[in-house]
Amino acid sequence: MATTVEHTPGQAHAEHHEPSFWRKYIFSTDHKIIGIQFLFMSLLFLLLGGLLALVIRWQLGWPSDPSMPMPGGSALPESMVNSGIILPEFYNSAVTMHGTIMIFFAIMPLLVGVFANYLIPLQIGAPDMAFPRLNMASFWTAFPAGLIMVAGFFVAGGHSAAGWTQYPPLSANPEYTGVYMGQTLWLVSMIILGFSSLMGAVNYITTVINMRAPGMTWFRMPLSVWALFITAILILLAVPVLTGALILLLFDSSLGTSFFLPEAGGEPLLWQHLFWFFGHPEVYILILPAMGFVSEIIASGSRKPIFGYPAMVLAIIAIAFLGWGVWGHHMFQSGMAFTLGAGFMATTMVIAVPSAIKTFNWMATMWRGDLHFHVPMMHAVAFVGMFVIGGLSGVFVASTAVDIFLHDTYFVVAHIHYVLFGGSLFAIFGAIIYWYPKMFGRLMSPTLGKIHFWLTLLFFNLTFFPMHFLGVNGMMRRIYDPTQYEFLQPLQGWNTFITISAILLVIAQLIFAFNFIWSLFRGEPAGPNPWRANSLEWTAPSPPPHGNFDATPVVYRGPYEYSSPLSDEDYLPQSVPPVDEAPGGPPAPDDPETGDGESSEPASRQEG
Amino acid sequence: MDATAEAEMQAQEGNQPNYMLVWAGLAVLTLLEVGVAFVGFSETVTVIILVGLAIWKALLVALYYMHLRFEPPRLVVMVIAPLPLAAILVLAALTDF
Amino acid sequence: MDRMTVPAGMDQAEVGIGVPNMKLGMWVFLLSEVMFFTALIGSYILLRSARPEAFAEPGEVLNVPLTAFNTFVLICSSVSMVKAFAAIEHGDQQGLKRWLLVTVGLGAFFLGVQGYEYFELASHGFVPVAEAYHAAGEPLYGATFYTLTGFHGAHVTLGVLAMIWITIRAFRGRYTQGSHAGVETMGLYWHFVDLVWIILFTIVYLI
Repeated sequence: MATTVEHTPGQAHAEHHEPSFWRKYIFSTDHKIIGIQFLFMSLLFLLLGGLLALVIRWQLGWPSDPSMPMPGGSALPESMVNSGIILPEFYNSAVTMHGTIMIFFAIMPLLVGVFANYLIPLQIGAPDMAFPRLNMASFWTAFPAGLIMVAGFFVAGGHSAAGWTQYPPLSANPEYTGVYMGQTLWLVSMIILGFSSLMGAVNYITTVINMRAPGMTWFRMPLSVWALFITAILILLAVPVLTGALILLLFDSSLGTSFFLPEAGGEPLLWQHLFWFFGHPEVYILILPAMGFVSEIIASGSRKPIFGYPAMVLAIIAIAFLGWGVWGHHMFQSGMAFTLGAGFMATTMVIAVPSAIKTFNWMATMWRGDLHFHVPMMHAVAFVGMFVIGGLSGVFVASTAVDIFLHDTYFVVAHIHYVLFGGSLFAIFGAIIYWYPKMFGRLMSPTLGKIHFWLTLLFFNLTFFPMHFLGVNGMMRRIYDPTQYEFLQPLQGWNTFITISAILLVIAQLIFAFNFIWSLFRGEPAGPNPWRANSLEWTAPSPPPHGNFDATPVVYRGPYEYSSPLSDEDYLPQSVPPVDEAPGGPPAPDDPETGDGESSEPASRQEG
Repeated sequence: MDATAEAEMQAQEGNQPNYMLVWAGLAVLTLLEVGVAFVGFSETVTVIILVGLAIWKALLVALYYMHLRFEPPRLVVMVIAPLPLAAILVLAALTDF
Repeated sequence: MDRMTVPAGMDQAEVGIGVPNMKLGMWVFLLSEVMFFTALIGSYILLRSARPEAFAEPGEVLNVPLTAFNTFVLICSSVSMVKAFAAIEHGDQQGLKRWLLVTVGLGAFFLGVQGYEYFELASHGFVPVAEAYHAAGEPLYGATFYTLTGFHGAHVTLGVLAMIWITIRAFRGRYTQGSHAGVETMGLYWHFVDLVWIILFTIVYLI
């Protein structure tokens, strides 16, 4: 057994000099604290985004119905909700900000800000990130960006109302939406957030390349690290394009230039190309880490090695690479050249192949496994199911002919929520519950976890599956009042049903919130390795001290050696030396040079 | 730097580039560029020559001043990797304008 | 900084790429800069291809000889930067300081010339905003020109400031033959900014 330190929760004092409260918890350079800071920040934004979704749903469930005033609406200013009726301007802001906050301030920081920070150094056996201070700066630019984004709700004219995609001229000419300050704040906040993502990405990439423990070759890295590494590359190369486009848009909307304004000689389509060139890799930024976490959880929950590890890695790389050549499928209806559209359709179809490889490998991993349906495993399995639904509806809209009918309808809304909520968010819940004992030294309550899981799965499907029907019947996304169209009036029953399901879905999340907070103080103390898993983070105490490991771990094998015949246990941690091999002399870590390290340069340890 | 020091440098590093020669090359190429721009070739020819010269200059800077020629091949691959993406963005979008 | 002891012969760099963290980090950062400038330069190319009539002929509005001279200044600053690096590679502290000072001076001079160029152009009605524009071409030309050269100028400004800091450290004797990662990293950034200018000069001024 590799575990060393018996740890009592609540006494997580590092053996080193004791830093002040501010250095330890607020302006910390410890990757674990920074990850947890991101966790609290993005969970708060997840709540805010969920509440905004309820605003949207209330209006759609009972459109401008005086007999159904919005609950709590009287607390909001009359420019948003007037005598219980959600005003169109506020509805547009709510749609815009629900998308923006969920994508950029909830899901993306949850996947990357939290887990890339927390997991990468622990899983590759490093004491910290390559640039700890840059890492701190990354959080402390993301946080002000979030504050600026929230501030937009409180300025005159309301928050940005141009949709999260911010298509000009709607976004570039404030006269169209009546939003002046809110639009500027939106743009400034997103530009600042771009810097934060960039600092994070530089850090993750450098850390994974240069800071791996001895013996941790590329093909011994856990799939979560692989996924986060590839995601960091996507962020590194995609976000600057968005930043550039945002800067041009900011100039248009506040300085009087005309890059995207057709009436003054600009090209609105240019924005769409730039935005989706970022936007489609962004989609994979939002799903690849989730796939990585699910791979970890499914392997440990099935007590079997992950099926086809190299194929899994190559599929991640293939998805990331192909993801750069598909952005045009968001623009099929923009009047793009026919050949160009056909090309984008082909690349989009091809990308389903690596996704399917991953799906089948997860199922093959579970096949005849010793399945342990603990709460993270339930979420991981749900991820696979929901991702398949979301992926298949994606293939529908990838076809240019079908897309003519489904573009900008609720079918697309259903698709994105099956991938982002059913996919990413289920994986995030699973990952939080899975690594919670490592972060806080206590397990989350399994009973509450199971209740939360089943209710979420049920109401998620009740909320989003009927949206496919709405979309096929022609209901437009972002519409304020569908009943104004006669052909949509028969669908109103579905809309009310969806709204009730959505309310119950949000209420079910309160169970998770309660479980999360309650378990911080009352959860069952977890040992270092509650899931009996193999990767390096489970050999450190829970929570790990500053510097993570007592001594640099040495890695002897891949991370998925479950039920190995070489071990009496049903798991074999990466850092346990092989016993009976190579008689005479201590066994060397088998060939740490594989594909790596031609240099003997004693480098990589300085900073600043 | 005088000639002896230069020779000494060559001896020590083996493949230290002659930075002043690269500098002279860059200066000449810049003059050439300005000349080509105003000599009055057809537009296509001008664009092709100018882009070629710019790439040549950029390569000189990257390979010698940024030492890419002397870095491990893996770093070079990493550096080249995003260039196709940049090309895809511009070229694919160009067909739409 | 808390550093763990690594067992002898088990150096972490063994599995790395053979490049120190700081240098690797700078390269990684520069890749994102490539994409940032791709967005800006790509926008310029696409806008110009969509609306060629909005852009004036080379030399019609812009002062090409002045900028060609400025390009030469920036190339000189690149060679002085690399000379500074070569000096400290051989432990030549005096050479390092001298060449760094030259580089800071040339960088600042480049910015000065660019400021003068902006001033001259603006006084002839070549401005980024639509209302006040009255030069050849259309306002789009002014907007793209100032955005592209302005963001490059901002990078040069940041570079000069960072270089001043590096120079101060050099004068305090912080860099030695064995340890001068700061100079090398600074150099990578500086040469990259030069490289971007080479592309910008060709695309914005000459084509």
